[in-house]
Amino acid sequence: MLEVKNIKYSYNSDYQALKGVSLKVEKGEMVALLGKNGAGKSTLFLHLNGIYEPDEGQVFIDGEELKYDKKSLLKFRQKVGIVFQNPDDQIFAPTVEEDVAFGPLNLGLPMEEVQDRVEEALSRVGMSGFEKKAPHHLSGGQKKRVAIAGILAMKPEIMVLDEPTAGLDPQGVVNLQKLLKDLNDEGITIIISTHEVDLVPNYAQRIFVLVDGLLIAEGTPKEIFAQPEILEQANLKVPIVTELFQKIEQEGFDMENDYPLTIEEAKDKFLEMFNKN
Amino acid sequence: MKFDMDYIAHHNALTETNPYLKLFITIFLLVLTLALDNLYFDIFIFIAMSIVILAIAKINIRSYLKFLSIPMVFVVLTCIFLIFFFGKGEVIYETGIFGIVVTTDSLHYGVYTFFRVIGCLPLLGFLALTTPIAKILHCLETLKVPKIVIEIALLMYNTIFIFLNEIDTMQKAQETRLGYSTYFGSFKSLGALASTIFLRSLDKSETLQHSLDSRGYTGELPVYVPRKRED
Repeated sequence: MLEVKNIKYSYNSDYQALKGVSLKVEKGEMVALLGKNGAGKSTLFLHLNGIYEPDEGQVFIDGEELKYDKKSLLKFRQKVGIVFQNPDDQIFAPTVEEDVAFGPLNLGLPMEEVQDRVEEALSRVGMSGFEKKAPHHLSGGQKKRVAIAGILAMKPEIMVLDEPTAGLDPQGVVNLQKLLKDLNDEGITIIISTHEVDLVPNYAQRIFVLVDGLLIAEGTPKEIFAQPEILEQANLKVPIVTELFQKIEQEGFDMENDYPLTIEEAKDKFLEMFNKN
Repeated sequence: MKFDMDYIAHHNALTETNPYLKLFITIFLLVLTLALDNLYFDIFIFIAMSIVILAIAKINIRSYLKFLSIPMVFVVLTCIFLIFFFGKGEVIYETGIFGIVVTTDSLHYGVYTFFRVIGCLPLLGFLALTTPIAKILHCLETLKVPKIVIEIALLMYNTIFIFLNEIDTMQKAQETRLGYSTYFGSFKSLGALASTIFLRSLDKSETLQHSLDSRGYTGELPVYVPRKRED
């Protein structure tokens, strides 16, 4: 379980990036953090494993308050893994396997164990066979997967991904979604920041909406996407599927206040409507 | 064709050869070439190592020539300066301009420097073109080179590629907007490029630090030595 209590953080005296954010994510949940560029998503994420120390407020992981001494930080950074938006910021080693091994080695694990973890993590993300390759010879999507493997190999309880679908091709997005879903099924808590509203209802059990350093809403995808004023504030819009049903409603079909968010829901809704007529 | 030394180092017939052997051969022959200081030996090494690089490592000749061409420009310039502007001794040729002369001494310096470099270049090329940098660094590590040197080299090496990519992208963006179409404009664009790159590197280094810290970086890069597996 991860809990953030009233976090405030300023980069300098004129600019407060987080103005008191509180949120709670239960163990095994998969949640999305929505918000436009510059809303403070990345800043918030960097608080979750103690990279940034808040000016005010606390972070709790498994009910334990995050401390900022070396030993506690190492412990919390093992529990909370952050996958950075740009894999180039994260991958630094000359070969793929060395990069993936970096985290586990820092945890002081024996070499055998590290090797097992590296191999397992790379196979999870579908990058087996690339162990000896140089990261700068990989494509963007492959780098992303290596970056994820680097975090997976640390066996975190909570995985935080900053815009994981940015820059991936459609098939890459599908594969990533499947991987994250599998990981979530295995019990890893997953927090994703994104503005891909079409994808969010597919995986997110809950959504947080961050605007200008403040959390303005939280709820299930159904709840959030039913509030146009919140979406507007956050520079978001409803998923394309939902938009379709809203348009259809304007043509005189009553949706009974139930708008599908995903393709699956849309299919059911259509079948239901066809069967009625 | 783009010349990518790193790619070549990863994809040639000698990539998997023992890096200690390659490092040893290189250093041994380098010392030997410099110590002997013999013109014929220099030429012999040049030919022998070129054959090794082209025939045994199977590196294509255009890449090899490109590798040689860049330092060659410097060598030729340096040697011309050496011949005309340095050394004392008997004058053997007078140019008649500002009293610039060639002396026995300077000719000797120029010619010997030239051939020494000619001999050493393919030697370095042999190491650089056939061995991925990661392996060289590992070698140095076991040979007790200070850790800090290796870590800096490693981080630098990786960031060079990000850096080059960034410069490439920015330069294309500038060219797209005709940033290099005039002589004066080129200077301005290049200046803007340099300052932006500097600011961006600062930014990048901070993010890199964050991401290293996120994975439990303790200020020392651990070494990963996987065992060979049968399966």
